[in-house]
Amino acid sequence: MQWAPLALSFEVAIAATALAAVMGVLLGALLASRRFPARDLFDALFTLPMVLPPTVLGYYVLVSIGRSSALGRAFERVTGSSIVFTVFGAIVAATVGSLPLVIKSARAALESVDPALVAAARTLGASPLRAFFTVKLPLASSGILAGLMLGFARALGDFGVTLMVAGDIPGETQTASLAIYDAIQSNQDARAAGMIAVLTALGAAVLYAVNRLTRLRNER
Amino acid sequence: MRRVLSALLVVASIAIDTAACKKADKPAVRVAAAADLAFAFEQLGAEFVRQTGKRVTFSFGSTGLLQQQLSQGAPFDLFAAADVTFADAAVRAGACEAASKSLYARGQLVVWTREGGPAHPATLAELALPAYARVAIANPDHAPYGRAAKEALQRAGAWEAVARKIVYGENVRQTLQYAQTGNVEAAVVALSLAVATKGGTVLPIDPALHAPIDQALVVCTRGADPEGGRAFAALVNSAEGRAVMRRFGFLLPGEQR
Repeated sequence: MQWAPLALSFEVAIAATALAAVMGVLLGALLASRRFPARDLFDALFTLPMVLPPTVLGYYVLVSIGRSSALGRAFERVTGSSIVFTVFGAIVAATVGSLPLVIKSARAALESVDPALVAAARTLGASPLRAFFTVKLPLASSGILAGLMLGFARALGDFGVTLMVAGDIPGETQTASLAIYDAIQSNQDARAAGMIAVLTALGAAVLYAVNRLTRLRNER
Repeated sequence: MRRVLSALLVVASIAIDTAACKKADKPAVRVAAAADLAFAFEQLGAEFVRQTGKRVTFSFGSTGLLQQQLSQGAPFDLFAAADVTFADAAVRAGACEAASKSLYARGQLVVWTREGGPAHPATLAELALPAYARVAIANPDHAPYGRAAKEALQRAGAWEAVARKIVYGENVRQTLQYAQTGNVEAAVVALSLAVATKGGTVLPIDPALHAPIDQALVVCTRGADPEGGRAFAALVNSAEGRAVMRRFGFLLPGEQR
């Protein structure tokens, strides 16, 4: 049983979920707002990572943050290390996969909030921003939380994009899914078994919790 | 809720920090090594730790894939390729030092079949027989052992018949795994993996059937510890290192038949 890859997976997934939470709620809120132009088109664009093959996503990520990209060069000038083939690359890879799940859930949760409640807050003098943060967002929180949990589970399990963008360097970028792949390739199933069990149990727990959360929201 | 958002940002930055810093505490020598070296280098790695006190980590994969990653800036200290042309390519890409290049082994190709499997070939050409419903080789596009396997099958006159039932492994280690798990009837792999794998029958392939698998290593400069890479290279080419490589079935420079 190896703990280091699992621990790294957790760190990467927590960082990725936090990034996806900030970006996902923001983008979900934009998409849920009726004044946002061409929002179904943008929704489709943001959802693309869920349907594209990991190789295509990996290609886009390499092109946009690789060492020859503007972003990659700027990052390297400031921090002295590249984004690709480091833990930062693994975090970006995991974020790409989990962001659409967060955006989708946030949009659905925010849209399901009764507009009359927000309107009431406005008539009582709340600014649009204040009404959003004190009324709309709290009412949508269980749906958003469900999306975050799905995003976390997705980030925890990313394989393809991580392999392309972060490589497979033990102790640096070798997350649990990569370590499992390595262990199985070298026929050390026992080494993989513990990690497989943890990831499976965690995935099941997340899905169960999401179901409960969703039911909670529907009953309310 | 704004507080929740800023709390999330803090969590994110802490997670990123710990993930990034913890790695920096104990830098390990990072070696990108061809998949055929998986067992031999694990053993050399233990010896390396004993001698230098430094940690070493291996990323095993197909030589072509590792060379791609090096060219894109992967931070390895040493590249042990299964074919010298890929070491040259990594040098041309500016990732590794030309002066550090050395041949360290010549690989041998074998057919591996599982004990208790349907058949064991007496010659390479027998892989054309129907008893071998599926035959695995490494992907010839980027794995040197796959390239050699394809060439040997062609020269043995079996390629036409075998091509239809070929399964490509991403690298030579995965190729062997296909046969070990019984998902293919035979695999053409490196002797260095076959000697370390129990439960199989090994048929050596005549080296005259393919271009030599001359394996070369180069010290690379984009990692954190090129000197560590140099030290590991020295171990591979030392008397001790050569003894280990010989045990894993490699032919060594200076003593080839």
